[in-house]
Amino acid sequence: MARADVVVVGAGLAGLSAAVGLAEAGARVEVLATGHAATHWAPGGLDVAAVPGTETPAAGLRLLAARPQHPYALLASHVAPALAWLRGVVAGSGLVYVGDLDAPIRPVPTSVGRTRPAAILPEGQAAALAPWAPDERLLICGPLGFKDFWPEAVAAGLRRPEAWPGTAGPARVDAVTFEPPGFRGTRNHNALDLARAFDDASWREAALVAIARAVSAAGPGPGRVALPACLGLADHPAVLEAARATLPLEPFEVPLVPPSLPGLRLYRALREALRRAGGRLQIGEAVQRVDVEAGRVVRVAVPAAARQHLVATGALVLATGGIAGGGLLATMDGRLEETVLGLPVEAPDADAWLAQDPLDPQGHPLEAAGVRTDGQLRPVDPTGASGGAALYENVHVVGSLLAGQRYLRERCGDGVALASGHLAAELLGSGRATGRQSLAEARR
Amino acid sequence: MIPSLVDVLVIGGGATGAGILRDLSRRGLRCLLVDKSDMGTGTSGRYHGLLHSGGRYVSKDPIAARECIDENRVLRRIAPHCIEDTGGLFVATRDDPADYVEAFPEASAACGVPCEEVPLDELFRREPALDRSIWRAYRVPDASLEPWQLIEANLADARAHGSQAVPYQRVVGMTRNGAQITSVELHDERSGSLSRVAARMVVSAAGAWAGRVAALAGVELAMSPGKGTMLVYNQRMTDTVVNRCHRPGDGDIMVPVHLVAILGTTEIRVDDPDRYGISREEVMALIAEGSKLFPDLPRMRLLRAYAGVRPLYQLEPPADPGDVRGISRAHVVIDHEQRDGVRNLVSIVGGKLTTYRLMAEQTADAVAAKLGVSVRCTTAEDALPGADDRHYYWLGHRLAEHEHQGGGDAELICECEIVTRDGLERFLDEHWPCSLDDVRRGTRLGMGPCQGGFCTFRAVGAMARRGTRDGDAPGRGADDRSPPESGAADDAAEEATLAAFVEERYKGIRPIVWGRQLQELWLTTGIYAGVLGVGAPRSAPQALVSGVNASRVEPTPGGRDGQG
Amino acid sequence: MTIDALVRAASEEGRGQPRLGHPATGEVGFSADECLKCNVCNTVCPVMRVTDRFPGPKYVGPQAQRFRLVTALPPQGKGVPAVPSPDLTVDYCSGCGLCTTACPAEVKIAEMNNRARATLRATQRPRLRDWLLGQTDLLGMLGTPVAPLANWVLRQPLLRRLVELTIGIHHQAPLPVYAGRTFRSIWREERRRHGGARSAEPGPDRAVVFFHGCAANYYEPGVARAAVAVLERNGFEVIVPPQVCCGLPMISNGRYRSARGKARRNVSVLADYARRGYRIVGTSTSCTHTLKAEYREMLDLSDDDATAVAEATWDICEFLLDLHEQGRLDTGFGRLEQELPYHAPCQLRSHGIGLPALDLFELVPGLRAIDYDHDCCGVAGTYGLKVEKYDIAMAVGEPLFRRLRASGASQAACDSETCRWQISAATQLPTRHPVEILAEAYAAGDAEAPGRGGAGAPARA
Repeated sequence: MARADVVVVGAGLAGLSAAVGLAEAGARVEVLATGHAATHWAPGGLDVAAVPGTETPAAGLRLLAARPQHPYALLASHVAPALAWLRGVVAGSGLVYVGDLDAPIRPVPTSVGRTRPAAILPEGQAAALAPWAPDERLLICGPLGFKDFWPEAVAAGLRRPEAWPGTAGPARVDAVTFEPPGFRGTRNHNALDLARAFDDASWREAALVAIARAVSAAGPGPGRVALPACLGLADHPAVLEAARATLPLEPFEVPLVPPSLPGLRLYRALREALRRAGGRLQIGEAVQRVDVEAGRVVRVAVPAAARQHLVATGALVLATGGIAGGGLLATMDGRLEETVLGLPVEAPDADAWLAQDPLDPQGHPLEAAGVRTDGQLRPVDPTGASGGAALYENVHVVGSLLAGQRYLRERCGDGVALASGHLAAELLGSGRATGRQSLAEARR
Repeated sequence: MIPSLVDVLVIGGGATGAGILRDLSRRGLRCLLVDKSDMGTGTSGRYHGLLHSGGRYVSKDPIAARECIDENRVLRRIAPHCIEDTGGLFVATRDDPADYVEAFPEASAACGVPCEEVPLDELFRREPALDRSIWRAYRVPDASLEPWQLIEANLADARAHGSQAVPYQRVVGMTRNGAQITSVELHDERSGSLSRVAARMVVSAAGAWAGRVAALAGVELAMSPGKGTMLVYNQRMTDTVVNRCHRPGDGDIMVPVHLVAILGTTEIRVDDPDRYGISREEVMALIAEGSKLFPDLPRMRLLRAYAGVRPLYQLEPPADPGDVRGISRAHVVIDHEQRDGVRNLVSIVGGKLTTYRLMAEQTADAVAAKLGVSVRCTTAEDALPGADDRHYYWLGHRLAEHEHQGGGDAELICECEIVTRDGLERFLDEHWPCSLDDVRRGTRLGMGPCQGGFCTFRAVGAMARRGTRDGDAPGRGADDRSPPESGAADDAAEEATLAAFVEERYKGIRPIVWGRQLQELWLTTGIYAGVLGVGAPRSAPQALVSGVNASRVEPTPGGRDGQG
Repeated sequence: MTIDALVRAASEEGRGQPRLGHPATGEVGFSADECLKCNVCNTVCPVMRVTDRFPGPKYVGPQAQRFRLVTALPPQGKGVPAVPSPDLTVDYCSGCGLCTTACPAEVKIAEMNNRARATLRATQRPRLRDWLLGQTDLLGMLGTPVAPLANWVLRQPLLRRLVELTIGIHHQAPLPVYAGRTFRSIWREERRRHGGARSAEPGPDRAVVFFHGCAANYYEPGVARAAVAVLERNGFEVIVPPQVCCGLPMISNGRYRSARGKARRNVSVLADYARRGYRIVGTSTSCTHTLKAEYREMLDLSDDDATAVAEATWDICEFLLDLHEQGRLDTGFGRLEQELPYHAPCQLRSHGIGLPALDLFELVPGLRAIDYDHDCCGVAGTYGLKVEKYDIAMAVGEPLFRRLRASGASQAACDSETCRWQISAATQLPTRHPVEILAEAYAAGDAEAPGRGGAGAPARA
C-alpha cells in the first residue's frame, strides 16, 4: 500500500492547482485521474466571470459572489491570489497569460465565425483582445484541407455585425489559406499534428513563410491575422515568437474543438510544475473504492491489473468535475450520482434538467447541479439534513463539482476551479482544514 | 419548376408515394410527386428498419404475412443495395406462451414463410448477447431495409421515366368543380411562394396525414394514427433481426440497421400526427421489455429515441378507441369516386414499408384503370437503379471502402459514421443546394454517438465554401473571397440550418439523457457554447439569438427525425 | 423488469458483471459504448505522433468497433466478404495501451484493437514472421546451444538483409543476444552446489515462485540471478517451477489459440502454488502483466485457476515495494553515486501500480533516478522488429534516445526487456533492469559494511 498526505482525484485545472499548491507546501501528493479530460477540451483561457451587463471579470465576480448559492460567495477573495500564483507556476514552462480581473471583457473570434467573451488569455490568443481600429482588418488564415478550421466560414460569420456585440468589429474580414509543407491535402490531421510539426524548427520556418506569403497576398494595410490554435506544443513560446517575427500582421490563435492545444499546454505546464514540486500524477486510475474510518477518508483503491492498488491518505481532494468531466453521473431514473464517494448532490428535478433549446443562452438548469460544501470546501448535505456539518472531515471538493455555478452562462469555470484548488491547498497545506490534522501528523 | 399540368399528382414522398411515382411513370404517365417536407421524412424515415419476412403476422393476419414474404422476395431482387441480409429470429422467452411458440412453424408454413428451428447452442454461438433462458428459436428471412436509399432509388427510376419529385411543397388547397378536382394549390415551404398544378388524377399517399389531404378535397377520411416509439442503440448487440415469438407487442423486436440497433416499438394512439412526445416512462417500458431478449440492454448506450406515426385506417369503428394494436396493418386503396363522388382522387392508407411496392402497384392499377391505361406493372421485375451489382450491403462496407481508398488517412468530416471530405463534397456536388438534414440522410453524417457534436460545424464549413453567393462553383483556395456584403443573408441561413440541426438531434436525445449520453451532450454543449461561441451568453445575449431566430426556417413538425 | 430493477441492472452493482456475449470483443467491445469522441486518446498515441499510416486509436478503436460484427463467425449474407473486421490499419496499433490509460470514459481501446487484430489475422493468410515472433520459447531453445554461432549469424548485415527480405524482420531491429546458458541450467547447478533441493518447501511467507519468462532465461540470465539474489537477501527462498513462454508474443501477433495453449500450461503449474498462498514474482513486466490480466481479458481464460494465478502474480519491484511498505525490506543498500535515467515501459503503466522502481531507487543512497517520462520507446514487444514498422518504432523512441544520448549517464534503467534492447541498440547505453541496480546496491552495501547483510536476516527498515 502506498502512502500520501493528500490524494487528489482528478487532473483538471482544479485538481492540478490543488496538487501543485500542496506539493509546493511540502506535502506528499498523489494525483489519481481516470483519464485526461477538462484541460484537453478547454480553450485555454482563464474565464473568471463574464456575466451579461458587466464589463470586467472583477465586476462579474462581485455580482456572482453576492449570490449566497454561488461558489464565489466563498471563493471570491481567493481568485486574485490564485490567479497570480498560477501565472507564476506556468511561467516556469514559458506559458504567459495576458489580462487580469480588471481587464475589459472583449469578444474574441471563435473557429466557427462567432465570438466569445474573454479577458484573460494565453499570450498566443491575446492579440484578439485589443479593440479594432476603424481601418483595421482581420485576416482568417488556415491550412488547406484542415477539417477543424474553415477560413471562409469563419470569415463569413465574423463579417456579420451581430458577431461583435457591443463593439465595433474589424473594418473587413477576409479568408486566406496556406499549404502546410509536406502535408498531403487530404490527410486526416488534427491540430496536434500541426502543432507538433510547428515544434520542428525547419518545418516551422517553411510554414511561416507560406503563411506570410498568403497574408501578404491579401493586400496591404493594418490588421491582425487569426490562425487556428496549433502554433506548437512543446516549443510553443518559440513558435509564437517566430510567428510574430515572420508574419506581416500581428497573429493570434483561435482555439479549436478538442484536442485543444492551448488546453494541452496548460496541462503540460501544470504537470511539469507538479513534477518539479515532487508530486505524483497517475492517469488511468479511476478510484474504485474509498475507505472511511470515523468520518475520515483513510484509503483509496484504484484498479490495478488483477487486484486493487491501495493508497493510504491523510486527506482527499475531490476534483472529478461535473457532468462533462465525469464527477457526476445521471442515472436512468433521473438522479445524479457523485461518482467517487456517492456524496449527496444538489440538482433540479429530472423534468427540469434541460432547457427547451439545446443552445439556450440561459444555459440548462442542470448546470448548477453539484455538491454543497461548508466554508472549508467539505461536503455537506444540501437538504440541511446534516445540520450543515461536514460529511467527511478530510474531504475537500473543488472545481466544477461545486454546486451553484452556471459555467456556460456565467463563464466562471476556470475561476472557480483555480480559486477552490488554491484554497484547498491552503487549507490542507497549513493544517487548518480540520483544526487538528496537520501534514506532519498525516505523514506519521 | 412546378409543371402546371400533369397526368397524375402524387402527394407524399414516403416509400409508397415514391413507389407509385415509379410505377405510374413506367406505365407511360407523366407524374409529379410533392411532399410538404423532404422525401422520406414522415413515417418511412421513422420506422424500425425491418424488411418483414411475414413471421410477425403469421397467426394474427395471414394475408399480411403472405404479402410480406412475397414482397420480401421481390425487394431482395430489385433493391438488394438497400438491404442488409441479416436474417431474422423468432425466439421464445420465458414469458412467451408455449402454444404460440409450438404452433409457430406450422402457422408460418401455412403462410409460405420459410421457418426453421435453430438449435440453441448454435443460437447462442451466433448471438451471444441473447438471454440464456430463451428456449426456442426459429430462423426466418427477415432483413434490415434502408428507407432513404430505397425512396431515392424509386424516385431516380421515376425521373428516368419522365416524372418529377419536388420536396417542400405543401398542398394547401384543392379546387373542385363538381366531382372533379381541377387544380391543386402548393405552398413552397422554403420560399413561401404559391403555385397551382392541374392533374387528371390526384393520388394521396400522405399516410398518417391522408385525412388532411382528403379534407382539402372536401372528403372525410378518418385515420387512426398510431405512434410507435423506437430506441437507437449505439452499437449492435445482434447481427440478426430478433423478434419475440408471441403476439406482437411493445419492445419485442430488435433490428440491426447499419451501425446501430433499433428496439421497437410502442403503439399509442395519437390524435395529431404532428404533435406527440416521447416520455421517459415509455422509454423505460421499452427497455424493460427489450431486456427480456437482451439482458444487457439497461447497460447499453442509447443514442436517441424517435417515433413514427403509423398510417392506420379503420374500416369499422373500434370497440376500444385506445386499442391501436387491434387495427389491421392491411392497406386499403380508396377510390373516392365510389366512396365520396370525387372522380379523380385515390387514397392509399394503411400498410407497411415492406409492402410499399405492392401498395404502389395496386394504387397504380386503380389509377391506370381510371385513366384507361392498360400498360401492366413492371416494378416487381426490373431492378431499381443502384442495384447493379445485385449485392446486399454489409455492416463493414463503409469502413472497408475507406480503408481501401485512403488507407484510413483520408480526411474525416464525420468520424462516427466515416463521412470523408471527398464523400461530403461529392454529395454536395450532386445535391447542392441542400440542407444539413439532406446531408445527414444522404451520408449518415451526424448519426453516431456524438449526434453531430463534432461534425456539424465541419459540414457547415464545407457548405460555406459553396457558392450560393457567386454561382454554384465550389470555392477553393486563397482567392475565392466573396465580397463581405453579399454573404450575410446566406450566412444567416447557414446559421439557421445549424441551429435547426442541433435542435433536432437534441429532441431525440432528451428522452434518454442519462449516463454517457448526458455527458456527451454536456461535452458538445460545452464545445459549442464555450469554445465556438454558438448560443453562448455574452454582454448582449439577444444579439446572436435574434440573428438566428429572425431567419430560422421552422423545421417541419414531425419531419427530419429518423433512425440515426 | 421494474424500473428499479432496470436501474439496478444499469448501475454500479451491475457494472462489475461480465456482459453476455460479443465473443469477438467481449466486455472490451462493449466499452466502445463509453466513447465520448473527445479525441483525448489521439493526443497520447505515440504511433499516431510519428506516422500517417496509423489513423489513431479513436478511429481503429471505438469508431471501427461499431463496424464490426458481433461475432467473428463468417457472415451468412450474400455478397458479404468473409472479413468480420474490415479495417486493416488496426495492424499499426503497437498495443502500448496509453490510449486506454488516457481515456476519460474508460474505453478499453488498446484491448479492443488487440482483439480486432486477432480477428483480422484469423482471416488472413498466416505469415511466417508473425508465427516466428511468437515462438520465443522455440527460438530460445534452438539458439542457446549454438549461441556464439547464432549471435554471429544474427549480426551479419547481409544475412539480416536476407532475413528482412524473406521474413520481414527489419535488418536493424534490436534482436537480443543469446547468453549461451539458460538461467534454468545455471540455477539448477547453483542449487546442486548449495546442497540440492530442500526436503520440504518452505511456506508461502518464506518462499516465492519465480516466473523468469523467456528473456531472462535465454538472453539475460543476469537479470534473473539478480532477482534471485535480492529475493534471497530478503529471506525468501526462490522456487522455479517448470514454465513456458507466457504467450504474450503470440497474443501480440494475433495467434490467440497458440497463446491459450501456453497460458493453460503455465496456469496448470502455477495455480497450485497460488492456491497455497505463494506469490508469483516476475522480472518481466510484460510476462507478469500477461499472467495478471491478459489470460483473462484477452484469452478468455475465466476459470478459477487463471484468477488465482492472476491475483498471486507480482512484478518484482511491486513485490519489493510492498515488502518495504510492510517494513520487511532489507534497506542495507550501499551508496551508488550516479544519475540514473529511468524509462517506465508502457506495459508497466498497464499494471496500474505506479512506478515502484522509482520508489525503490529512492532508498539507495546517492542514486538520483530521473523519470524520463517519455510515452513509449517504440518497440512495443515485437512491433518494432517488423520491417514495415521499424522506422515508426525508432521515430516513436527518438526523443527518448536523443535525451539519453545527451545525458552523459553511464547506464539507464527500464523494467521491460524488449524496451531495454531497443534503448540499448539505439543509444549504445547499457540499459538494465531495476533489480540489477538494487542487487548492485546491496553488493555496495556489503562492501561498505562487511558482514551486515546476508540471506535470511532482513534488516528492519
